[in-house]
Amino acid sequence: MIEFIAFTKKEYMESLRTYRLVTLAAVLLVFGILSPLTAALLPEILGAIDLGDGVVLTLPEPSAIDSWTQFFSNIGQMGMLAVIISFSGSMANEFSRGTLVNLLTKGMKRHVVILSKFFSASVLWTIGYALCLAVCYVYTAYYWPSDVITNAPFAFFSLWLFGEFLIAILIFSGTLFGSFYGALLSCFGAIVVMALLNISPAIQKFNPISLSGDTLALLSGHKEIADFFPAVIICVSAIVILIIASILVFNKKKV
Amino acid sequence: MANSLNTLVSFLPLIIPLAIIQFGLMIAALVHILKHDTYKTGNRLLWIIICICVNTIGPILYFVIGRGDE
Repeated sequence: MIEFIAFTKKEYMESLRTYRLVTLAAVLLVFGILSPLTAALLPEILGAIDLGDGVVLTLPEPSAIDSWTQFFSNIGQMGMLAVIISFSGSMANEFSRGTLVNLLTKGMKRHVVILSKFFSASVLWTIGYALCLAVCYVYTAYYWPSDVITNAPFAFFSLWLFGEFLIAILIFSGTLFGSFYGALLSCFGAIVVMALLNISPAIQKFNPISLSGDTLALLSGHKEIADFFPAVIICVSAIVILIIASILVFNKKKV
Repeated sequence: MANSLNTLVSFLPLIIPLAIIQFGLMIAALVHILKHDTYKTGNRLLWIIICICVNTIGPILYFVIGRGDE
């Protein structure tokens, strides 16, 4: 436990000194503020475009659901990209700089490294996500106070879980390949594979990517919370399997 | 004109914090660029241009791939 706490402390110090904490929080905050703003201004912007012959696009008055639509598409794409870029180097930097050698030869358990990395990255992601969620929530409630959104807590949870899943993939591939680009590309590869699998309706229900992609259907009431349970179970077990696999790979790995 | 000004004023609570974050990031990145002279990729002029011209993403790109190790 002492090892775990010490290594986690070192992880936070690293996040602070490499500006990872600040940049991740800033990106997520920007998207938290930008989502209600885009939702509110989109009709104005489209209304200003003249398609010729006086044809002008008119959209209905923006509402809270538009704000959350923007939020989920922004965080689901750009926010996840920020997470992937921030945490790709997490394992790779340790290998390339040889900073783990001292710790491991002094008798630190190898599984502590993986668990601590996953834990500290998860906490950073959770804090960043909570921050942008709170900001978006406050602004949406301020500009559209009367609108009620159904199933919102579960939708927030499912997007958060997808972020955790990406972190688990990054730690596993970072351990396996030991390089920044290895982790980055395998994470993109995993997303592409999941997106391709999502074409088949039979798999859709079990696909973890639906946790990020189908949240809009949940908010608009086209889907029930129960529809997401298979994907949630698959996602949680995939996270556990990836972490165990990372520990097994790391045990055999030459540092 | 008056109408669009009103729209702008009603969204000031959104625009002001957004501007603070974006300028804050830009200034933090510029200070870091000017204080350090080794970069993992690119050079000083390139990063200054990127940080000023590409908002939000530019400074973050610098911190992730441009910043050299001390």
